[in-house]
Amino acid sequence: MAAIAGGNLAEDVEGQIPSGKSGRPGVRQFPVWRWVILIVVGAYFAIPLIAALRFTGFSSFPQVVHQEGFSAAFELSVRLAVITTVLTIVLMLPTTVYVHLRLPRLRRLMEGITILPIVIPPVVLIVGVLQVAPGFLKSTPYLLALMYVVLAMPFAYRAFDAGLRALDLQTLVEASQSLGAGWRSTLWRVMLPNLRTAMLSATVLTVALVLGEFTMASLDLYQTFPVWIVAFDQTSGPISVAASLLALFVTWIFLLAITLIGGRGSRRKGGAEVSLFSVSRRNTGGS
Amino acid sequence: MTTKAASGNHADGGVRSTSGATVDLRNLSRSFGTIRALDGLTLRLAPGELVALLGPSGCGKTTALRILAGFETADSGSVAVDGRDVSGIPAAKRDMGMVFQSYSLFPNMSALENVSFGLRMRRLGSAERQRRASGLLDMVGLAAQGKQYPHQLSGGQQQRVALARALAIEPRVLLLDEPLSALDAKVRLQLREQIRSLQQRLGTTTLFVTHDQEEALSMADRVGVMREGRLEQIATPDELYDRPATPFVAEFVGIMNRIPAGLLELLGASALAADLVPHPERPAAGVDVLVRPEGLRITASPSGNGIVVGRTFLGQLTRLSVRLSGDVVVQVDQQSTEAAGISPGDPVDVSLAGAPVMVAER
Repeated sequence: MAAIAGGNLAEDVEGQIPSGKSGRPGVRQFPVWRWVILIVVGAYFAIPLIAALRFTGFSSFPQVVHQEGFSAAFELSVRLAVITTVLTIVLMLPTTVYVHLRLPRLRRLMEGITILPIVIPPVVLIVGVLQVAPGFLKSTPYLLALMYVVLAMPFAYRAFDAGLRALDLQTLVEASQSLGAGWRSTLWRVMLPNLRTAMLSATVLTVALVLGEFTMASLDLYQTFPVWIVAFDQTSGPISVAASLLALFVTWIFLLAITLIGGRGSRRKGGAEVSLFSVSRRNTGGS
Repeated sequence: MTTKAASGNHADGGVRSTSGATVDLRNLSRSFGTIRALDGLTLRLAPGELVALLGPSGCGKTTALRILAGFETADSGSVAVDGRDVSGIPAAKRDMGMVFQSYSLFPNMSALENVSFGLRMRRLGSAERQRRASGLLDMVGLAAQGKQYPHQLSGGQQQRVALARALAIEPRVLLLDEPLSALDAKVRLQLREQIRSLQQRLGTTTLFVTHDQEEALSMADRVGVMREGRLEQIATPDELYDRPATPFVAEFVGIMNRIPAGLLELLGASALAADLVPHPERPAAGVDVLVRPEGLRITASPSGNGIVVGRTFLGQLTRLSVRLSGDVVVQVDQQSTEAAGISPGDPVDVSLAGAPVMVAER
């Protein structure tokens, strides 16, 4: 350990780096069986995509955006995605923070409640809601956004929960308050910046869910992007498949961009390493 | 809110020494369910004083500190700073700096930003914040680490930044919640000297909670020993060690031998001193004498009253464990030079070197 005053960080860090089992620091072992699993799983995902690509051909992609109804359906899906994401964050983030800070004993209950939308089929949810929803809501596609908030709840809650678990939230809040910060400053300057990656995860998952949801939109008789793809499938198979692939690629690019942007900022500041469902605290220095 | 000392001297680092506040914890009680964490705690801290609360886990010391900080509310009793009741004032407005046990730096801010956070909350201008935060980092020996983020700092460095951050707001009360317990021994020793030196220089009234008696005794002006939510004794470290008020304090602070009074004769003492005897009518019945390891003397003797069963080298001293009759094992501190010839299994003669610390009922 370095001397306490004017300590040399390099000295502090040295000795904390695991040297690895092989005794060759920096060389990663990647056993053969891992390659086998990777190839099998990769093939499982890649073969249908390659088949779809072969079926549709690259020439179909530019045509997708010129098809009738594409713009309206895509725009509606994007609008729903934005509204759903905002509502989800506004509702779920304070709830999860409150449970972590004030009602930690309810965390298990919250986990149970938030898993319900996965257990209950979407068709049951939408049919039930359509029975009881007031007319003014049924006449607008934004009823779907409210339903999507419920569908996104399991993913958003877990993203926030993972983010909060990676922080010592109670201590950070108390430290902030002891320095004179009120709740608003604590939320804005301490909590949210440290939950940025968790919010990005929740956003990614919510957007992916909304852009791909078919059952509810179809039963609510609104033509979102997935509903349009299915409807267009009756007219032109190759273009419909191209639209599906396009949706998939756009979502992937979106996920990748968010993960990269979030991860880069977080790594620089030593925040949590966040992948979609897991958040791990970065190694803080020893003593 | 407490006012700052207008004519405070500038210590180094651009931090003014404060006048320090008088803190009064009055008859504080707090229960968590069926557990009574605090049971009528009353404590006064004089301006500029460092008081350590010492006690085993669950004795209520952290609860007392958290009530003073404003993070907990007492079921009854009050907290006053400079005579003014602050019980109803939220933590954010109490003007108390706090250093936590776990590294509590904001991960999204650099060391400099962490230190200037409290100044920002007080709406100080950017240049002034920068100047004062830099000065404080310099004061804790981390001037070069201002731009580093917490994960790039070692634990000791993080706690020094946390200390600088707590001092940046020029608090009149500084609260230390076991700030050294997560650090390794060497860093702990250096940091505790640094904390004490800064505290004395700045004159900040400080409440320090710890379960480490060495830390408490070496840093504090006075040490309060707590047990089951109550203050057993509060005194200077010397007094606490030499004249404990209760057997609990006597045995909790330092090493203490508990020897049945019936063995006194064996140790060469004819009778207990009159002022130590709780029941003069039956002086040796049901009582033990409490003697520190340095209060016993040991000499090698084939016809001695004990057998050495262990020895621990402590540097200048060697601690010998000796089994007396009745299977009573006592610890005796001996100069290492004198203990050099004594090994486990050797017969020795143990005798009292002076009066016992106290007599306690068994």
